[in-house]
Amino acid sequence: MTGEDFSILLLTLRVAAISTAVILPLGIAAGWFLARRPFLGKGAIETILSLPLVLPPTAVGILLLSLLRPGGPAGRILAALNVEVLFTWKAIVVATAVMSFPLLVRPARVAFEEIDPRLIAVARSLGRRPAAVFARITLPLAWRGVAAGTLLAFSRALGEFGATILVAGNIPGRTQTLALAIFHRSQIGQDGAALRLVGVTVVVAFAAVWSTEWIERRRARLRSA
Amino acid sequence: MIELDLRLPLADFTLEVAARCASPAVAVLGPSGSGKTSLLESIAGLRRRVQGRIALDGVTLQDSTENVHLPPERRRIGYVPQDALLFPHLSAADNVRFGLSGSDAERTFAEAVDILEIGPLLPRFPATLSGGERQRVALARAVATQPRLLLFDEPLAAIDVELKARILPYLLRIRDERKIPLFYVTHNAGEAEALAGEALLLRKGRLEAHGATRSIVEQRLAEVDPSASFDNVLDGRIASEERDGAVSLELSGGSSLTVPASGAGIGQRAIFAVAPDEILVSLQPLVRVSARNVLAGEIRAIESLGSDAMVHADAAGARWRAHVTEAAVTDLQLAVGQPVWLAIKTRSFRRLR
Repeated sequence: MTGEDFSILLLTLRVAAISTAVILPLGIAAGWFLARRPFLGKGAIETILSLPLVLPPTAVGILLLSLLRPGGPAGRILAALNVEVLFTWKAIVVATAVMSFPLLVRPARVAFEEIDPRLIAVARSLGRRPAAVFARITLPLAWRGVAAGTLLAFSRALGEFGATILVAGNIPGRTQTLALAIFHRSQIGQDGAALRLVGVTVVVAFAAVWSTEWIERRRARLRSA
Repeated sequence: MIELDLRLPLADFTLEVAARCASPAVAVLGPSGSGKTSLLESIAGLRRRVQGRIALDGVTLQDSTENVHLPPERRRIGYVPQDALLFPHLSAADNVRFGLSGSDAERTFAEAVDILEIGPLLPRFPATLSGGERQRVALARAVATQPRLLLFDEPLAAIDVELKARILPYLLRIRDERKIPLFYVTHNAGEAEALAGEALLLRKGRLEAHGATRSIVEQRLAEVDPSASFDNVLDGRIASEERDGAVSLELSGGSSLTVPASGAGIGQRAIFAVAPDEILVSLQPLVRVSARNVLAGEIRAIESLGSDAMVHADAAGARWRAHVTEAAVTDLQLAVGQPVWLAIKTRSFRRLR
């Protein structure tokens, strides 16, 4: 593994981690909201949230580009705040966050739906306010689903390609993530170097999945002890 | 004092209950699906669609004409549902601690653990507890929060639970030692009588009867709830030791019964039950008989249950129910006011807990 490979890996891990951390509270809130509250327009919101799953990533990339470009709706606000996003690592975070968001929301929502609402009711009758009940009962009980969703979202963020390349480009040393670098190297005929990076991604993915499984096994042992 | 005047639309009918209950313990009777659980959930504030008024000791918990609906966390009502609903990810100890905060948290925790005798269960998780153990932990969890009212919903399946696993002795202790008012859903008439002087009888959401538990049990319950169980429940104190592992149980009226020792020590309060099927009714005094309890009494009521009948009799300062066939009623010409003798074997008595 070369120094360049290593910095590509670091950048990829960093943006995937930031992206996942940014969407985690939003995804939990959205999952809980969709699971518990029937409201007007719920179906429409569910569909919009799922769109990144079904649209071609490049289409999402174009949409984001038109939002973020100078003079675009979001671009104007960013310019006023003097924040540069397009073609920086921040653009990767935006692209991966949008692309991986539905993968977090779905399992989180299913996990919240599976909680017996009477458990929540009993917790409140014991004198606890809704916020405390959420922190100590609802969220811990939905832990498996939230963790599974987080892992899925993180994995998606590690490998995101189509949307990323449109909003962040493929600038070596600046916005070149593992997925982009593998593509780039194979395009210019460096198949060996590309395969080296493939090996790196396999190791990272394995570690992520295995550690989640390990945490879950440990919890299961604790509970049945 | 709890004042109820509520309506709650349910799938098959509307629950409508208007009653004022002043007893320290109130039994809620009625067949499955008559609205008993919905009534408890309405009082606890877990049903949003309740209309009407609910007040506890003069504090309005709900009044739909004034748009008052106190959220459950502000009602200070402990609710133990049929399936206990322990938090599955918390140990028994953390379940009991869940509602506690402040300086006296440790004291109320210790008291609840003591009264429900769940010390050995504390480190365990709900998945590893039996049904009866879960209910005790759920009761401790509710009692520890020092509620103004405790709602206990006993599952129908609890009728088949072994007597020693029954929850009644713990409810009696909560009533007598902690003085927490209770609403108690049960299908066991004897236990209802032992715990609660006042009862509500529900059928299809309507209040069929409200009054003394004894008269509701004797006059209405068998007809309204065919699955109710009519155990005779005796609450007394162990007075002395007798032969062959038997002890004498002194009832509050002063008379005594011979019952199996079952681990109860002299001077200790103990609760025994005997099924109505186990009691023999005789028109003559039984002598030279193997049963060690032969009680002289008088028939107070005979309730026809189709092919058989329930004989209610007063003897030894207690009210007894004996289950006999309709043929026995005819052949012996049993009638109200007639003197009878009840024979009960020592071994027919089972200690609760």
